[in-house]
Amino acid sequence: MSDNHDTVAVEEETEVHFEPIVKLAAVEVKTHEEEEDSIFKMRAKLFRFVKESNEWKERGTGDVRLMQHKETKKIRLLMRRDQTLKICANHYVTAEMTLTPNVGSDRSWVWNVTADSSDECTGPQTLAIRLANSDNAAIFKEEFEKAQKNNAELKSAEKKDDEKEEKKEEAKEEEKKEEETKEEKKDEEKKEESA
Amino acid sequence: MAETPTFKLVLVGDGGTGKTTFVKRHLTGEFEKKYIATLGVEVHPLSFTTNFGQIIFNTWDTAGQEKFGGLRDGYYINGQCGIIMFDLTSRITYKNVPNWHRDLVRVCENIPIVLCGNKVDIKERKVKPKAIDFHRKKSLQYYDISAKSNYNFEKPFLWLARKLAGHQDLEFVASPALAPAEVQVDSALMQQYNEELNSAAAMPLPEEDDDL
Repeated sequence: MSDNHDTVAVEEETEVHFEPIVKLAAVEVKTHEEEEDSIFKMRAKLFRFVKESNEWKERGTGDVRLMQHKETKKIRLLMRRDQTLKICANHYVTAEMTLTPNVGSDRSWVWNVTADSSDECTGPQTLAIRLANSDNAAIFKEEFEKAQKNNAELKSAEKKDDEKEEKKEEAKEEEKKEEETKEEKKDEEKKEESA
Repeated sequence: MAETPTFKLVLVGDGGTGKTTFVKRHLTGEFEKKYIATLGVEVHPLSFTTNFGQIIFNTWDTAGQEKFGGLRDGYYINGQCGIIMFDLTSRITYKNVPNWHRDLVRVCENIPIVLCGNKVDIKERKVKPKAIDFHRKKSLQYYDISAKSNYNFEKPFLWLARKLAGHQDLEFVASPALAPAEVQVDSALMQQYNEELNSAAAMPLPEEDDDL
């Protein structure tokens, strides 16, 4: 760009005043990343597949990051565009996803998202990511798959907890039933006695 | 919650200078290479998160080609800010800037306007920086931009937002990244997704000239 863009003098700030048309107060914007640790970060270009026209369309250039929640330990993939910081990818890294190479490229991966929660495009998406080189692509894959494993383990632990809870409840129910039958028996015995 | 501050932005300039591509770049991130002339006008809300909260530019992307121009003055009514675009690789598009400016300010008096020289990524620049002086006479802000490389592509909106809000310290900040949705899919839908994945993987990504 520099050879082409030989002077910036032309872009200097123009001294001109306009009466503001809105009154806005400074605000603290929550990023919702406050409860998370960024455990991985890499420069990338993201694309989404458009089925109707059978083509890839760019989604943005920026840092792709893996964010781990401090408490739940769950990991999501989050990517913001440079300059405007808008979200172009935001989804949990789940076990069902398969990073698949893109034809003819040694530095790109394709995968499916059942529910992407980014700005302007949400819902199911087929995404592709391009990294700087094949080494970076390999590192990305490794980290992505680690995150998948982490989230899968959390899920199975959750399941086990749920099962335990269920079993406990079942056991309680059984106890209750037993007691009820005991009571019933007593009642019957009493009835018999009085008869 | 208070309503999001919304500004009507009128985007004008000769046909083929990249107005629609610029809007789409902001809207979905895509870079459209095919040229499809805009008919009349297309209105797109472009939202930005700033340290003064969320703002929206309702962007009126107008037809640059005379024959597709349609209502023109009607599109300009109640415009609160403007962008005039020309193509740095085409002198005629810069020559026409005064005409676009005249038409715009005839309807919208005294609004902040940014002049943008687009396609700065292309090596054969025809409109040299020294030749660009129209903005000085009319108190417009000027930026070289590229919808392709994203060079300065946020600057026009940033400058306009600062003027409209009267805060020189307004900046774009990270938008709230809410916890993503979790959706359970049945095996039939999963299979459909996997088939789509395979056809997508077989389709090469666009050109690889990016430096990451």
